[in-house]
Amino acid sequence: MNWLLQLYPARWRERYGEEFAAVLARQRASVGLVLDVLAGAIDAHLHPQIQNSRSKQIKGDDTMTLAMLERCAAGGPKLSPSERRIAFRLSILSALVIAALYIVLTKIYREAPAVQAVYWTSILFPNFIYQQTVYLKKRLWLTQAIVLGAGLSAMYLFMLAVCVVGRKL
Amino acid sequence: MIRKPKDDAELEDFGRFSEPALLILVSLAEGPRHGYSMTEDIEAIAGTRLGPGTLYGALARLEARGLIEPLKSKNNDRRNPYRLTTLGERSLRARLDSMMAVARTGQRRLAHA
Repeated sequence: MNWLLQLYPARWRERYGEEFAAVLARQRASVGLVLDVLAGAIDAHLHPQIQNSRSKQIKGDDTMTLAMLERCAAGGPKLSPSERRIAFRLSILSALVIAALYIVLTKIYREAPAVQAVYWTSILFPNFIYQQTVYLKKRLWLTQAIVLGAGLSAMYLFMLAVCVVGRKL
Repeated sequence: MIRKPKDDAELEDFGRFSEPALLILVSLAEGPRHGYSMTEDIEAIAGTRLGPGTLYGALARLEARGLIEPLKSKNNDRRNPYRLTTLGERSLRARLDSMMAVARTGQRRLAHA
């Protein structure tokens, strides 16, 4: 029955081959078993999980670089439809909130550098929110809030400095 | 309407592997196990014998999403034990809570039928 293992992708065999063979060896041969293994092999080719695996058994010393390369590959981290919806809604909501804030501040303070900095920050902010929602999805809400707060503050302070310097020139 | 807990979403896109994945998580809730031990345990608790294709399709998905993790096997044993991660435990709790809420609602409605 072990010949069935050859139907799986090489990377899959490298990762699960031995233990899969050990389980397979203890099963009674049947048509159902062959069909199950065939379906599993087709699935392993169609939906390879190994690239996305966070397995601690990745070979090589530089697992962090490998993990970063995997995340930067086309498609980025795997998102479920609900996660995509949440990230999209959050970025739209943040765009609306910052637009409303800009309108109110302009009404009160006119073209002060602090208001202009809100305008420039608003261009980057929704994308920043989306990216952070995607990449920090497994983190605690507190961690996400701290990273978002710190990122937004840094962006705003940078834009404020640019606006102040621009005004003085 | 019953709201799905957030952590429950981890098992959402498993397709035909949803049920085997849930059974694997339940099996690992008792402690680390290797593949064959999982199939035996699952057969005992659910009456379903998972084939190796289904078992490893679900295991690979669970591992890729960080819900379980492999442990180093002892004495060069080919059988790799797995254990639940914290995320896996949270997802399992959320899924079980959600299933219990559905079951309770069903029972209540049947009682009034």
